[in-house]
Amino acid sequence: MIEHAPAVLDVRDVRKTYAGDVEAVRGVSLSVARGRLLVLAGASGCGKTSLLKMINRLEETSGGSILFGGEDIDGMDPVALRRRIGWVMQGDGLFPHMSVRRNVGLIPQLAGQDPARVELRVREMLELVRLDPDEFGERLPAELSGGQRQRVGFARALAGEPELVLMDEPFSALDPITRDGLQQDFRALQAELGFAAVMVTHDMAEALIMAHEVAVMREGQLVQRGTPRELMASPVDDYVTGLLETPRRQVQAIAELGR
Amino acid sequence: MNANLAERWAELPDLLAGHVLLSLSAILVGLTLSLPLGIYAASRPRLAGLVLNLASIVQTIPGLALLALMVPLLGGTIGYAPAFLALMLYSILPILRNTIVGLQGVDPVVRDAARGIGMTAREQLWRVELPLALPVIVAGLRTAVVWVVGAATLATPVGASSLGNYIFAGLQTRNWLSVLFGCLFAAGLAIILDQMIRLLEVAARERRSRLAGLVGLALAVLLTVTIAPRFVDFGPAGRNAREAGEVARMARLSDTTIRVGAKAFTEQYILGALLEDRLAGAGGRVERRDNLGSSIAFDALRSGEIDVYVDYSGTIWATVMNRPEPVNRHAMLAEMTGWLWAEHGILALGSLGFENAYGFAMARESAEALGVASLADLAPLAAELTVGGDAEVFSRPEWVMTRDSYGLSAMQTRAMDATFMYGAVRDGQVDLISAYTTDGRIAAFDLVVLDDPLAVLPPYDAVVLLSPGAAANPALVDVLASLIGTIDDDAMREANRRVDLDRQTPAQAAAWLAGRIGPEGAAQ
Ligand SMILES: Nc1ncnc2c1ncn2[C@@H]1O[C@H](COP(=O)(O)OP(=O)(O)OP(=O)(O)O)[C@@H](O)[C@H]1O
Ligand SMILES: [Mg+2]
Repeated sequence: MIEHAPAVLDVRDVRKTYAGDVEAVRGVSLSVARGRLLVLAGASGCGKTSLLKMINRLEETSGGSILFGGEDIDGMDPVALRRRIGWVMQGDGLFPHMSVRRNVGLIPQLAGQDPARVELRVREMLELVRLDPDEFGERLPAELSGGQRQRVGFARALAGEPELVLMDEPFSALDPITRDGLQQDFRALQAELGFAAVMVTHDMAEALIMAHEVAVMREGQLVQRGTPRELMASPVDDYVTGLLETPRRQVQAIAELGR
Repeated sequence: MNANLAERWAELPDLLAGHVLLSLSAILVGLTLSLPLGIYAASRPRLAGLVLNLASIVQTIPGLALLALMVPLLGGTIGYAPAFLALMLYSILPILRNTIVGLQGVDPVVRDAARGIGMTAREQLWRVELPLALPVIVAGLRTAVVWVVGAATLATPVGASSLGNYIFAGLQTRNWLSVLFGCLFAAGLAIILDQMIRLLEVAARERRSRLAGLVGLALAVLLTVTIAPRFVDFGPAGRNAREAGEVARMARLSDTTIRVGAKAFTEQYILGALLEDRLAGAGGRVERRDNLGSSIAFDALRSGEIDVYVDYSGTIWATVMNRPEPVNRHAMLAEMTGWLWAEHGILALGSLGFENAYGFAMARESAEALGVASLADLAPLAAELTVGGDAEVFSRPEWVMTRDSYGLSAMQTRAMDATFMYGAVRDGQVDLISAYTTDGRIAAFDLVVLDDPLAVLPPYDAVVLLSPGAAANPALVDVLASLIGTIDDDAMREANRRVDLDRQTPAQAAAWLAGRIGPEGAAQ
């Protein structure tokens, strides 16, 4: 296990059983340190979203424990917990009736900051995600492109100065070029602000490109954890090899074009 | 026509005030009940299903029936209370349904996002769910406003004055200007309120505070102007000055407010106006409660909601006393008088002198062609004949007994408004109608009332009925007693004819009757 800094998030043997005996997560342990990005990968239905939702208590665990900043989240107020954790979801999840400015300023405003500070924070965040506050501030989400909406989603999640950001397939609805740009921008942002992040993705190539560490899940369990390099070098079983097959083939095909 | 228009305008402030007050209070209370209930139920699917079903059941009850049902439910209370209650119930469904549907329709992704970024349940509701559901909720509110403002015209028969008074009275006296007045003002009011709510929603959505302010101001002005007459009484001052001399002379009823009821047909309007004239002449303050439904009028008298009205012995006999067997005119009057006094403390002061019976009338031409002179001649022809009557008559014992005694069950029945029956039988649209024998149109349209050889149809002496409270006021009894025995069949028929055919107002016809009767005491 590679530990660069004390863990922001520590997940210990966590389980989730839904009504009807669906065992979505069956004993997963992981940890994420400041400034690090952990990517959760795995086939559809293997429990990635369930795990993510337990971290900010959108779902309650059925067993095990989760520590956030060293403290068990069971004893925390769920709303207070969520305000310390950024939340980015697939298809942005912006509030359609609020302008970009109000969407981004929402969390600081709910936290009771005065309007001038909120406004300052909004500008800062929009500039951070490379959107001109004067041009985009008053627009409604419906008046933005998909990539711009996702940038606003990031800006909103980061406005509360979270120690941890959780992301469920944040790029899956974007075209490859926009996606590439946003992926790069996200890494730069993380390097600058130093928050820890957990991202769920279906796309193994994305996982390999972005992650400090990849955790592969299968049927509710963790089958392998490691850096992208470790994963490529020594996949533990056929399942992981299978997941890596697609990016590997794509790389080969492109390399052959160059010969 | 000009007098008619002037009279209609004069009625407007009071009726408009009643209408606005009634419908707005019903909507406001309906809104304050259904909005929280809808919010509470939206996240509880089983409760939501239950309340929506209940509200839908209320909605399937026809408006008029719902209004009428409130009267017995409130123990015979008429006026504002039952009308308010019924309309309030009526306003609930659209608001409740749209609140639930609107909230449930909020995109689950957005709902999850609100929870995920750390909003409390209250913040989710107020900042995300309600704003997103607002257009749907407002659409429900607008539906409720249009329904309730429209349905408030049906408050007239339960004794709450509204723009419906124009429509009911106009229909009965064939005063189309009056009907038009009621329709135009009710529709106009509904449209204006609907548009104001629409603009308020636009203002809220687009955060245009100036627009919101303007609409709010317009709404306030509308309310003040329409409702003011209810609280600032302009009328009596002028009237009192005019009648000061008279009042001083015979102020026997001064400081007594007497509520005079009337059912919803011409003769009743005229008699109501006549009673008002007499009572006001004796210094009383008179409030009219016109257009009461037939059984509602009696209930209102019993509970003291009204003090006096004119009913008919046969009606009381059959529908209040539930006596199926016919008896002779004088016995009925005596027995009815004793029964009302013993059972309810209601004083039947006596007969006005005329009888307004149910009879069956045919156009003279077709009666002669068919060789019909009496109800007994109809049986062999029954299968080919159609009888018209008001909605009430076919469920009354009079028709049932006539049908059974004369073997008329093969006859087709057609219910229509009493206003239209006489024209319908004259023009041959129906062969026979259940006519009121004092109606001026019997002579005018050359109709014949068929004989009743088996004496099935009960007598219908017009009697002045006083509530227990009014019966205890000797001055009041005295004033009204002067009318007993003063109006014969011909006089009443002529008065009715003046309204129905000459287009006089009931007040004008009542004045003619009063002139014929002579001043109080003269007839005695
Ligand atoms: N609220 C729920 N109630 C019952 N079962 C659920 C619920 N949410 C998820 N599940 C089940 O739990 C399992 C894991 O679901 P989850 O959404 O965590 O998978 P996932 O890895 O995110 O899948 P995908 O990649 O398709 O998003 C699935 O079998 C799913 O049907
Ligand atoms: Mg998922």
